[in-house]
Formats: sequence, structure tokens, C-alpha cells
Amino acid sequence: MSWRPTRLTLSFLTLVGWALFLGVLTGRSELIIVAVPLVVALLVGRRAGAAPDLDVDHAVSADRLLEEERVTVTVRLRATRAASLVEVLEPLPARVRVAHGSHRAFFTLRAGEEVRWEFVLRCTGRQRLRLDGPHARLWGPLGLAAAETRYRAPRRVAVYPQVAPLRYPPRPITTQTFVGNHVSRAQGEGIEPGDVRPFAPGDHVRHVNWRATLRLGTLHVTQHHPERNADVVLVLDTLSEVGPPGRTVVDVAARAAGALAAAYLARKDRVGLIEYGGQLRWVRPGSGRAQFQRLLDSLVDASVVFTYVTRDVDLIPARILPPQALVLALSPLLDARFVRAASDLAARGFDLVVIAVSPVAAAQAAARRGGVADLAARLWTLERRAQLAELRQRGLSIVDWDGVEPLDVALAPLRRPRLRRVLA
Amino acid sequence: MLRLAALLLVAVLAVVPTGVLAAAPVTWLAGLVLVVGGVGALAFSIPLITTGASLALITYALALVLGRPAVDPVPAIAFGAALTLVLALVHFAGLVRGARVPPTVVAAQVRLWLTVVALGVAAAVALTASAALLAPMLVGAQLPVVTAATALGAVLVAAGIIRTLVAR
Repeated sequence: MSWRPTRLTLSFLTLVGWALFLGVLTGRSELIIVAVPLVVALLVGRRAGAAPDLDVDHAVSADRLLEEERVTVTVRLRATRAASLVEVLEPLPARVRVAHGSHRAFFTLRAGEEVRWEFVLRCTGRQRLRLDGPHARLWGPLGLAAAETRYRAPRRVAVYPQVAPLRYPPRPITTQTFVGNHVSRAQGEGIEPGDVRPFAPGDHVRHVNWRATLRLGTLHVTQHHPERNADVVLVLDTLSEVGPPGRTVVDVAARAAGALAAAYLARKDRVGLIEYGGQLRWVRPGSGRAQFQRLLDSLVDASVVFTYVTRDVDLIPARILPPQALVLALSPLLDARFVRAASDLAARGFDLVVIAVSPVAAAQAAARRGGVADLAARLWTLERRAQLAELRQRGLSIVDWDGVEPLDVALAPLRRPRLRRVLA
Repeated sequence: MLRLAALLLVAVLAVVPTGVLAAAPVTWLAGLVLVVGGVGALAFSIPLITTGASLALITYALALVLGRPAVDPVPAIAFGAALTLVLALVHFAGLVRGARVPPTVVAAQVRLWLTVVALGVAAAVALTASAALLAPMLVGAQLPVVTAATALGAVLVAAGIIRTLVAR
């Protein structure tokens, strides 16, 4: 660190120059006297020695957060020698707000003195937050000289999408072989009663339906439906996005994907994720808390990467997209490539539900409100309604969601048992 | 609080010349000093406050030339001290705006300003006293000698400005 004169030095020199010039011009000694305090200030403000070294320690209270949660940043400062004025600034990345305190502070340090400074940040959008470390600026006496340095001590915080509780996620048409919470259509050991049939050798006595047996005169047993898990694959459309930062359709879809993943994983299902966009990335279906963490990590990084290349769903391996899986596609349906991919999946017999995240509200939030904007939004809503109706006619199962109302409300029509649809 | 103090200092810069001569051109210029300096103090703008201070110096010089009063170092020392303080104060206030500033920092800065101003006042008093002592001995000094000495000071200041600009 080395001292550099500031613009205040220029101001002082300007005034000294004026005073001396006018003193010579007018021949009045008062103007020379006026310059004396200014010259003394300049001499005091001139620092010949080296700037004191600062020890900086920089820490954050958490390395994983959900959107809108807060993280406390703590900075500790210690100077080897006395510093009359130290300015410390922690640069803030985008989509981060100061919730409490200030990310810029001033201190006066004695030799060896340590000061601690805290401020609270609110993370308004999913991201991999990176706090590189504070900038420090030492001000000389009267602010006539300054020395700057930057302390690099990067701290990373993963800000995950907010996961709202979801009570009724869409039920899969087919189930898998492992134990879960979905009532299977197949007959077997379970709690949910099914058909009643005549007793056959090998049947357990505890399955005998005594009421039916007495009425019909022969032994009858109650069959049961086993509780099985399901494979669920979430397909996130990252081909296009609309809306202000932190509230784009991709952000809304990522939050919905997080909520769906949490709901299915709580039901012992296996959940996978495919990010269908400029980059085709996926997370293999799995279950448990570790899988939820993997999905959230993937959702944090989901972003739009521009490309002209269309990647076919053929590229996705079968272990990522199991044939009997329930596929939930989250998309604003703005890009024809995604509509084609969804139609392709449905045509191949996948149990597909498209959750169409409306881009209209996001676009309105980004645009300036006015008569023309409102009219455009209404026309866009009508056009979109027609597009969804056409896709429904072609056999796609589509749920329209404005991204504002709870996802449970939008998914309510899917609570009824669904049948596999054939694409026209 | 800092704004109020800066406004008070700007008022001092406007009042000192009118105290020397309360005539029309001086009062007009003093009004201009109040406006420009006041805006600079309210906005914590260093360029505006420097402009206001320069105008105040010109006003003071004009008042001295038009009024031709006897030499009085006290208002001049007060004027110089006010100039120093107003620049330091406006710079500090603009710097800390929107930041966390503990009261100890403000107290330390105020102590520093007062110390520097006290040093400046002491230097000005010493200069005035030594000038009063030297005056009888330099009665026969030629005007060109005095002018050359002052011009040398002005050249040194200009050199300082150039060095500052180059360093930036």
C-alpha cells in the first residue's frame, strides 16, 4: 500500500494559489495570512511514511441458504500501527440486499487494536453467492492522501430456491417395485383394500373377508393394493426466460421444481432432474435427503445458455428417464424446441404433465406499467390460452400456472386419478 | 449535524468580507458565495465548495482593495481557519454518507481538525508576529524583492498542483 494524494489536495492547493495570487495582486498581507492555515493543513496531510498494514479476517454465518434468508458477514480488522481513518467496503453481488447494518464502514484504529464489524445480507434470488473480501482504504489526516488495498478471502454461499410445501403433487399413473406412499394398481400385500375373491390355496387366513364369506356361504378373501414408490423426472426448460432478475420464469420454475422434489422425496419416490436448455444437464433419479441436496445444487445453477443447437430427448439415457416415470415438465412454452421435446416424450408413452409457467406476469413485472403494456399482456394471455388449448387437443396434459398463486391450487385438477393419454 | 456545521462555516466565509466592506459589489459576491457554498455544503460536493471558497477569497480581496482598511490579521486568520475546516468537513461528510460511522470516528476526526486548525492559527500568529518584528528592519526593501519572494511561493504552489495532477 502506498499513499496517493486525493482530489482534496487539489482543492487545498487551488485555494493556496488563489490566496497568494490575490495577495501579490492586491498587495494586502491579510491574503497571505489566509493561506497559512491551508499550507499547514497541507503539510500535516502529507504522509511520508509507509501506510500501516491491516490484518483482515472475513467470515460468513452460513454457506447454504434459501432465497430471502439472511447471512451475517463478520469482518475483523487489526492495524499494526495507528490509522486515523480506515474505510472498509464489501462489494455486493447482484440479487443481494443489505438487511441490517451497512456494507461500508469507517474505523479509527490504534496500534494493535482489533475492531469487529457485522452486517446482514438478504439474498433475493437463487445463486452461488461469492463474497471475495473487503476493499480497505486508509485515509491520511484531513483526507489529503489515501492508500488502497483489497483483501482476497473468498467466501461462497449457495442460495437455494425457496421450497414451498406442496400437499398434493400429481399422482403417477404407474408405480415402481419399491415400497412407497402411492397405492399401486397391482394386487399384493398392502393396507388399501381391493377386490374380494373366492379363497384359494395359499391365501392367508387373516385376509378372509368374514362378512362376504357368511353372505355367500363359501370362503372369500379381500385382496389389497400394495403401497409402492414412483419414479419422477422433473424437466426444467432453460431455453428462454422472461422477467426481472430473481423473478424470471426460470426462477419460478426452479422454485416449483424444488417444491415438487421435496414433496415426492418425502413420499419415498425417486426423483431426477433434466435441465433442457443450451446445456443439457441431468441428475439421475434417486431418493433421500442426499438426493434432495443434489437436486437443489443443480437448480441453483440452472440458467439460460443461448444456443441455436437443438438437442433431442434421444440424448437422454434411459437410466435418467425411466420408461415408467412420471415426467413433470416446467416450462413457459416460449420456445418451440421445448414444445417439440414435450410432444416427443408424450408420443413415446411417458406419463407427462406440463406445468406451463405463465411468462405474462413476469414480463409485466419487468416492463413499465401503462395502457399499452396492459393491452399487450391481455393479448398475450389470449394467445397463450389458445396455444395451451391446441396442445391439450393434441393430447398433452397441461396445467396453466401464473407463478403467483400456490402451486397446489394450479395442480388441483390433477388430483383425480388420471389415465394414460394417447397423443393425437 | 455535519451539514449545519458546513453551512455555518460557509456563512463565516461570506460574513468576513462584508465585515470589511458592506458595499454593493462585495455583498453581491458574498451572496453568490452563500449560494454556491451553501449548495456545496448541502450536497457535500468538493468541487462546489472549492468554487464557493475561491469566490469568497476573491470577495475578501475585493473588499480589502475597495475598503482599504488597516491591516487586521484576526479576521484573516479566522477566514483561513474557516476555509481549512469547511474543506475537511465537507470531504469527510461526503465520504461517510450512507456508511456505518461509529461516534468515536467522528470524535477523532473533530479532534484532528481542531488540532490542525490550531496549528495553522499558531503558524499564522507566529508569521504575523515575526513580520511585525522584521518590518522595521526591511523598511528599505525594494518592492520587486517582496514580489519575487511571493511569486516564488506561487510558483511552488503551482508545482505542487502539477505534481498532484501527475500523481493522480
